[in-house]
Amino acid sequence: MSEQGETGEAITILLVEDDAPTCWRLQDALVKTGYEVRSAGTLAEARTGLGERAPRVLLTDLRLPDGHGVELIRETRQRFPDTEIMVISALGDEESVISAITVGATGYLLKDAFPTDIATTVRDLVAGHSPISASIARFIVRRTQGAAQNSAEPPPGPVLNTARLTPREIDILWGIAKGFSYAEIASHLGLSRQTVPGHIKNIYRKLEVHTRSEAVFEAVQQGLIKL
Amino acid sequence: MSEIAAKAAVKPARRRLLASRLVPYLLIQALIVVATILGLRLLQPSDPDAFALGEFSLREDGVARPVMLPHFTSSRYSLADPPLYTGAFTFRRGDAAPGWSVFLPRFSNAVEVAVNGVVVLDSRRDANANRPDRNTPQIAAIPSSLLREGANEITVRLLVWGPLKGFLDTVYVGPDAALRPAYETRTLLFVTLPVVFSAWQSILAVILAIMWLMRRREPVYGVLAAAMVLGVIQAFSPPPVPPATVSRLAAVLLASAPMESALIVVFGVLFFGWRWPRYGTLLFAPGIVVFVVGLIAGPPLPRILFLVLGIPTVGVCLFLMACVTAAAVVRRQDAASFTLGCAVSIVLTCWVHDMLSVFEIMSNERIFVSRLSYSAMLVAIGAGLTWRFARALNQVDSFAGQLVTRVREVEERLKASFVREEARARAAALADERTRLMRDLHDGLGGQLVSIVALSERGHEGPTITDAARAALKDLRLVIDSMDDIGGDLMLALGSWRERATAQLRPHDIALDWHVATPQGLPLHPELRPWHVIQIVRILDEAVTNAVKHAQARHITVTIETRGDGQGDGQAGGHGGRGPYGVISVADDGKGFALAGEVASAGQTARGLRNMRSRAARCGAAFDLHSDSSGTRVRLQLPQIFPDSDAAAS
Repeated sequence: MSEQGETGEAITILLVEDDAPTCWRLQDALVKTGYEVRSAGTLAEARTGLGERAPRVLLTDLRLPDGHGVELIRETRQRFPDTEIMVISALGDEESVISAITVGATGYLLKDAFPTDIATTVRDLVAGHSPISASIARFIVRRTQGAAQNSAEPPPGPVLNTARLTPREIDILWGIAKGFSYAEIASHLGLSRQTVPGHIKNIYRKLEVHTRSEAVFEAVQQGLIKL
Repeated sequence: MSEIAAKAAVKPARRRLLASRLVPYLLIQALIVVATILGLRLLQPSDPDAFALGEFSLREDGVARPVMLPHFTSSRYSLADPPLYTGAFTFRRGDAAPGWSVFLPRFSNAVEVAVNGVVVLDSRRDANANRPDRNTPQIAAIPSSLLREGANEITVRLLVWGPLKGFLDTVYVGPDAALRPAYETRTLLFVTLPVVFSAWQSILAVILAIMWLMRRREPVYGVLAAAMVLGVIQAFSPPPVPPATVSRLAAVLLASAPMESALIVVFGVLFFGWRWPRYGTLLFAPGIVVFVVGLIAGPPLPRILFLVLGIPTVGVCLFLMACVTAAAVVRRQDAASFTLGCAVSIVLTCWVHDMLSVFEIMSNERIFVSRLSYSAMLVAIGAGLTWRFARALNQVDSFAGQLVTRVREVEERLKASFVREEARARAAALADERTRLMRDLHDGLGGQLVSIVALSERGHEGPTITDAARAALKDLRLVIDSMDDIGGDLMLALGSWRERATAQLRPHDIALDWHVATPQGLPLHPELRPWHVIQIVRILDEAVTNAVKHAQARHITVTIETRGDGQGDGQAGGHGGRGPYGVISVADDGKGFALAGEVASAGQTARGLRNMRSRAARCGAAFDLHSDSSGTRVRLQLPQIFPDSDAAAS
């Protein structure tokens, strides 16, 4: 069995993970499914890997021996906009996942996920379905609430700009946060079940801050910074 | 023993102290007495001796005899046939000064002066001039038509009302310009000055009365005000003598002097901080007696009584006052008591001087000075009290300033302590949270890690270690997840749990059906704390784990609903109703606990069950488990309000 992109060739994955056993585990699960996996243990290795050819998917840990995964995600996002990026996290905590999302990641993968789940998640990602967890959805919607209350102090955690989210998208996030399935959310909101993953990808895109200058522009737009 | 010895030692010490303080004070008072006597002698107003007429012939009771002025006559109570002094003076028309006058520096009680048989002066018309306690002088111009060249006759009728003896000082006849200055001096000293003092006294009386009204707990002001009022009344009251129109009132007012002096003693006692003894009221008795007699009996009885009762009372009071001030000086050694003591000594000296003069022991011109000195003393006391009051006000001002500073300091300290307290409370909250976290980690993660270690050591490879490690990771995620602020919405925690449970069940090929019966899921619980969430999620975890491990279930259904109070088992009926509560149930289609059979797992299951029950109890939730061959159903009924403290934990 071999996973192939639209062109028919094997899907390439760049796996960046410094812990060797974890790396092997993920690599095994992905290779077994038929992906072409290159692995890197450091930021430098990953950059070298990126330099050769753009991977279809980038899976990266955040804490690397020679730097932070966020830098890699940002670079990759700018150089290869078509590459799908997921962050590998041990706990799937908001701090790491959200910071990855804001620089262009569109999902996360738990390091201890079952091999089948790992393969499924990557396949869904390539198919345009960004995975989102209840806790991440919860984090985002609570930020939208915080922004609505105009609280003077920014809530703790990574900076997140939720102003561009539509009410519908926020409703979807609420559904996810409360543990409803896509089908349940779709029926509640009167949507087609298939459109929900697209909405989630949009949500990721809207949360992404592409560059520093754009971040400033956004902040000015939302009145967070007064010029 | 030692106590007695100590007492014995104290007594001589106290006596020594008494002596060392009293003796100098008494010496100073003696000096003051001497100075007062000298002062009285020096301040004796001088009269124009060149125009003195001393040789008179007195006709009294039908008998005429030559007398030398100043002269005392016997006391009498009848105004009929008064003693008549007849004298002569020589007038020369050629003298420079045209106007001649007759000047009487001192007389008691009243005089009618006639020159060459024509009356030129009748002092009875001036009530104040007739007061025996005032040394009022009189002067009268002699019409020049009356004066004859050469010898002229002057007659003085001395009207006396007892019990005091009549007195006539040397009479002066001469040019008005020569006599007038002496008259003016005496008027200033013995008429104007008392009036000034009385006015002063009345003002002080008003001030002190107001002070007392505003500060009732300081009766000393009230007492002094009363004394001053009496003094003023006395100064302006008409003398109780025959020409008086309201003789009864005048007689009653005689009581004012002893009353006033008694009040002054009261003032002294209170001023120096002693208690006024009950028997001290006796001091007012003479005053009251004079008052009552004045009310009942007609003259001259009140006057006699005043002389024998009132005047000695004044003296006794002055003496008591001197004792009080001396005691105060010994005890307090302050300026106030010393000054007052000196003033009392002066007044007492003046009183003795007057007494000696009354009894003719000391020959002088019968000038009474005690009233004058007493008024001066009262004015001094009043001024001193006012001064003290003003100083107290200043102290209050500075005290207020100090208070402001102190309040500011205290405020600063309070602020600091508040900051400290806040930091302490924060530290305590942090410690609490840490304790909870440690316990939660210990409950789950710790045990699982130990289990991993044990399994690894036994060389068991494979699924068991994996399971333990996965359980540990799951628990770590649970603990982290529970610390997130979910704003009291348990659904948010359950959403994460569903995700984890689904992932856990997928390898076992068990489907997790998620059924939210009511649209809003569970009611909001603002009081929901992380530790509640952990307990609930662990109960659900345990239920799912049991279903997987022991019941061999194929489907697990989680049902979430909100129920209202008092409503039946009806589903989706959670709208409204008093105190809605949530119900979470986990049902599987396994073979149930009873049929699990395995002896090894029975103990484990029982322990798991016990854990679930105790966790539910800690959250105030009702736990219910129903298990039979068709499956197991765990029902968790959440409380309407989650308990604040983890009391059930112990």
